Amino acid sequence: MRAYELIKETFSRKMYIWVVHISWLILYCFFWVLFLEEETDFGKFLFLWGGFLLPLALSTGIFGDDIASGRICVLMTRPFWPGELYIYRLLGLSLQGVLHFILAGCVIYIVHLFIGRGTLEGLGIWLFSSCLLFIVCAALSTTLSVVVSRAFNSLLLFIAVASAFFIVSILTWQHDGDTGTKVFTVLLKYAGPPFELLSKLAEGEYGKFSLIIGQHKLIKGLACITHSLVLTVIYSIVGIILLSRKQFTYELN
Amino acid sequence: MIYKDNKNTAIVECKELTKVYKNLLFGRSRAVCALKTISLSVNKGQIVGLIGPNGAGKSTLLNLIAGLIFPTEGCLTVCGSPARSVEARRSLGYMPEHPSFLGRYSARAVLRYHGALLGLPRKAISLQMDKSIQQLQMEEFIDRPCSEFSQGMRQRLALAIALMNDPQLLLLDEPSNGLDPVGIVQLRDLLKRLRDSGTAIVVSSHRLGELEKLTSDYIFLYRGEVVSFGDKIISGQAGRLRVELVSNGSYIAEKLLSPSQVLGVSDTELGIAVDNVDDVPDIVSDLVKGGARIKSVNLQTEDIEDIFLRLYNERN
Repeated sequence: MRAYELIKETFSRKMYIWVVHISWLILYCFFWVLFLEEETDFGKFLFLWGGFLLPLALSTGIFGDDIASGRICVLMTRPFWPGELYIYRLLGLSLQGVLHFILAGCVIYIVHLFIGRGTLEGLGIWLFSSCLLFIVCAALSTTLSVVVSRAFNSLLLFIAVASAFFIVSILTWQHDGDTGTKVFTVLLKYAGPPFELLSKLAEGEYGKFSLIIGQHKLIKGLACITHSLVLTVIYSIVGIILLSRKQFTYELN
Repeated sequence: MIYKDNKNTAIVECKELTKVYKNLLFGRSRAVCALKTISLSVNKGQIVGLIGPNGAGKSTLLNLIAGLIFPTEGCLTVCGSPARSVEARRSLGYMPEHPSFLGRYSARAVLRYHGALLGLPRKAISLQMDKSIQQLQMEEFIDRPCSEFSQGMRQRLALAIALMNDPQLLLLDEPSNGLDPVGIVQLRDLLKRLRDSGTAIVVSSHRLGELEKLTSDYIFLYRGEVVSFGDKIISGQAGRLRVELVSNGSYIAEKLLSPSQVLGVSDTELGIAVDNVDDVPDIVSDLVKGGARIKSVNLQTEDIEDIFLRLYNERN
């Protein structure tokens, strides 16, 4: 019951969540019909739009709104571990993401049937990568929402990611090969949302047993998936710790 | 009264409780001490009113008991378990000063949601909802979205949420805010019924008249310190003695009373400040012995508002 109500709450906490889902599914339709020349473009669009921007839109103020309004004060007096609140809300978001991508796949299939342009080859892996990116970004945004006031968590994450990409572009253009640049790029690649790793996974760049750790051979694609899931868990643990340690009062708000 | 040594019935126990709000950037230099070494206990079936001026630490104390903030020093238990523990929260009902709900949810959906968070089975939630709807007169708005609620409706719903788990301890922050007179009377009756059934209730309120009708157990907080407990307030209750005389009021006042005792004087009437109502017979006896010919005596005792103002003025 508790899990069901908390997951349900993530769907119905704001009216605009449904507007986002429906309008974005319509947007995919238009994008496919009007602009698509090659099928891979659509995958990339879906990856960035659905995998990155969608979780930001859906998770805006997921805890920040509760904290600002004082609702969290009543929630935190309920007899359960605060981590449950975080986990079920993230599950609610993830469920929305999965449903969204299933519907997006259906929309693409229907549009493809009607206009016959492009192929559906590779769409599955793009949807899967988008799902993984969605979950990582949702976890990061949810964790930020515990500490960032009101609904600014999504905006902050968007600005942080855009700034990081801008800095990386400048650094690789001006100081390509520098140790500092390499460290910064590697840090972003592995500690930040895995845009590069998952897009390469979707593009099929990783072959079989391409990652070798000592005597162990690992399918790099699998490592990439594991990496995304580990990131999600790390971001979530940080969020749960912050939520458990945070003090909530109206006066402080 | 507040039984400090009775551990069998104590629901809340605070020992040397201190709360300091520290500024993350400026550390101790901008720290605010909201509560200073407070020790108290609240027992089963007791209503305790927290009174004090703004910033006295009433909400901080409530938030500490509710487990929303951590004490800087000291020990705090609720029903024998540390505050903020799951066990403590299981026996707790909390009503904040400004309740807020998801606007799209109806009152029924909000109650169902909180019932589920409490881990109640579906049938128990329905029963509890029916009880709350009847107790708090919520029939009219139970299926309306919360965004359309008046302040009074919000208060009723917040109280219904706090009562969902039949708590052993009920924490109420300004519960009568926005309630109409009928609602206030219903709330008072409900709280008295809960007290009679053994629920411990801690109420923070600025509506002293309302509090007075509910309880005689107060904790007066001032700048984070307990200035006076309810039992001391009552036993030391002061008042104003109005003595009607045949004549010579000014002479009697000058001869028999100290200037600080005299609140008002005329030829036929004296106003005398009384520190303790138990002193009244002695005062009257002294007046008679001193030659006063008394026509009537009228004692006006302090109500809680007078006590509040007296304690506040003593500290300023």
